[in-house]
Amino acid sequence: MTEILLTQLANGLALGFIYVLVAVGLSIIFGMLGLVNFAHGAFFALSAYVALALFPHVGWSAVLLAPALVALAGMALERLLFRRAYDKEPLFGLILSFAVALLIEALIRVTWGSANRDFPAPGWLDGVLEWGPILLTHYRLAVVVVTIAALLMLWAFLEFTPYGRIVRAGARDPEMVGLLGHNLRRVFTGVFGLGTFMAGMAGVLAAPLWTVTPTMSESAIMPAFVTVTIGGLGSLSGAVVAGLMVGIVTALTVQFWPDASAAAMYVLMAVVLLLRPRGLFGARWERFE
Amino acid sequence: MSSKPKHAQDAATARRDFLRKSGAVAAVASLPAFYIGSAAAQETLKIGMVLAKQGPFALQGGDLTAGMQLAFNEAAGKVLGRPAELVWADEPNPQGAVQNITKLIEEQKVIAVIGGTSSATSLAMGAVAQRARIPFITPNAAAREITGKDCNPFMFRMPATVPVYAKAMAPHLLALGKKWYFIAGAFAFGEDVISTFSEIVNAAGGTVVGVDRAPVGTTDYSSFVLKARAAKPDVVISGAANVEPLLKQFKQLGLTGRIALAGPAVSDTDLWSASPEALTGVYGKTWYYNDPNNSPQEKAFVRAYIAKEGRPPSDRVFFGWHAMRLLLAAMQNANSAEPLRITKALEELKLDDGGLPLSFRKSDHQLLRRLVVASARANPADKWDILDVKTTRPANAQALDEMYGSQAEVGCKMAPL
Repeated sequence: MTEILLTQLANGLALGFIYVLVAVGLSIIFGMLGLVNFAHGAFFALSAYVALALFPHVGWSAVLLAPALVALAGMALERLLFRRAYDKEPLFGLILSFAVALLIEALIRVTWGSANRDFPAPGWLDGVLEWGPILLTHYRLAVVVVTIAALLMLWAFLEFTPYGRIVRAGARDPEMVGLLGHNLRRVFTGVFGLGTFMAGMAGVLAAPLWTVTPTMSESAIMPAFVTVTIGGLGSLSGAVVAGLMVGIVTALTVQFWPDASAAAMYVLMAVVLLLRPRGLFGARWERFE
Repeated sequence: MSSKPKHAQDAATARRDFLRKSGAVAAVASLPAFYIGSAAAQETLKIGMVLAKQGPFALQGGDLTAGMQLAFNEAAGKVLGRPAELVWADEPNPQGAVQNITKLIEEQKVIAVIGGTSSATSLAMGAVAQRARIPFITPNAAAREITGKDCNPFMFRMPATVPVYAKAMAPHLLALGKKWYFIAGAFAFGEDVISTFSEIVNAAGGTVVGVDRAPVGTTDYSSFVLKARAAKPDVVISGAANVEPLLKQFKQLGLTGRIALAGPAVSDTDLWSASPEALTGVYGKTWYYNDPNNSPQEKAFVRAYIAKEGRPPSDRVFFGWHAMRLLLAAMQNANSAEPLRITKALEELKLDDGGLPLSFRKSDHQLLRRLVVASARANPADKWDILDVKTTRPANAQALDEMYGSQAEVGCKMAPL
């Protein structure tokens, strides 16, 4: 029993890291722009398709190229559409991003068809790692390593670079940052691109684990919203902890009560919100009070 | 930020603008149907199709429609020597399907409807067809109730139910071993698979070593497959909506070829979307394009489809083609565009399926047709031809009838027309 539990735990952790990656992007965009971005999951799916399309031409560099292209598309959409939602009531942004999500899904269907697509993991990552009682596929291990590296880079960017400082300050008090002479509009576009890039990376990483379908966004966006809510709105470390919790709780529920595995994360969210309405790491933010 | 009246005014204008535009979009989107075929003339006969254009069933809906269009074109778009057209409406959910079939019947005056990608929409529309007294053929729904307790004289069903698959697959699966594990979707079809196949393995003296119900929409089956792996079964029976994610996890966890996988009513498109190295398993199907037992007409249909599309037809394309052919044949026999007469002709219809009779059973309106049990080839050379057919044709009409269960087993009390 311990053997299968530890294996499920490791497996859930890998799943959790995918959620973390999606949720961090969502959290950055929400924290900075105040936009509840429903289209985040659509960028996740779009990136998987773009990687699939690029792969025969550029090989494994598609793994980075696809999220980058999707981030560019996200930035263009931010300039065209999303920016109009910032000074309006939150519902407007929600509806707008929901419409964009539907539009992207429809575009995927028109371009690549509705059929499931196969995105195999690279051959050298085939096989499983048996480490004591724990069993984990090499690919999942790779997902964990890549995600940790990406999160460290993001953290270093936000913490140690002047750009990161502007982004963090902008999240707290955008008007003040604007008054200090920074071009806020450009910062907003950049932040949107950064968040979308994270979603795109998650999409590429998840593609070999899940099935690439036009509806794959749904499997990412709901856990991501739950993760952001549990972790505390706008909190990056909160998103990391909460994402891993959601992954592990889901995997362990499959072991003990499979019928409830889809509902488990919502129960977790309800419990956390009852005990701590602001989420685990949610700070009191002037902007949202 | 929102203290300026100008902003508020802008927002209001933008909102009105948005509402106006979205209203227009909604109005266009809610048009009940789009038209295939020639412009409607006074005497044009209309056949309705209510099949998914969007959502998780869109792929199957598209394939079914393509098959129907093909059969319709084979008849040169004419019914009883009169110009005819197909009207295609969407079925987003049971309520939407009911609205659309009602519109087709009342506004478009269709004389027959083929529709229902899922069992839920089929059951809902079958009831409408009965009230309106219009023949309704469901080409893709497997729920027992359709030809069981909810059967009705205007509803005809083409695919086999889970118990029919189970009977056909049992000898092949028991040969693989008698410890079975179930990974099924948490919906009607999955439950049907669990109960029906459990009975079979228990009756054969085997054991069920585990049963998992995966919530609808589960994308990552790894936790389920890990659990199955720990239970060390001989066979994992899939009752999931799509078997491809299971194949993927089997491959990643190194179980391909070590634990057998099997499933009833598995579609070609699911298997075609799996990577060749991941292919394995024994599957129950209604039809396979490269089945040596296919009739000459079916082989001609496959050739025509490959010539047109450059790839072989999936089983869903066949279902659509077959449903339309049966309907057109019934209309011809009825020699009338009167829905009641077409319904009677469907009941009486008897076609030749390469030496076996092909007909809807009078007692429950189930199409009696042979099934295919096939095993997936490991690493197939051809990306489309991936199955080895294991079944032969039933010996005679009686054997075929027995496959589909007795009236008592099926449980339909057919009302008079």
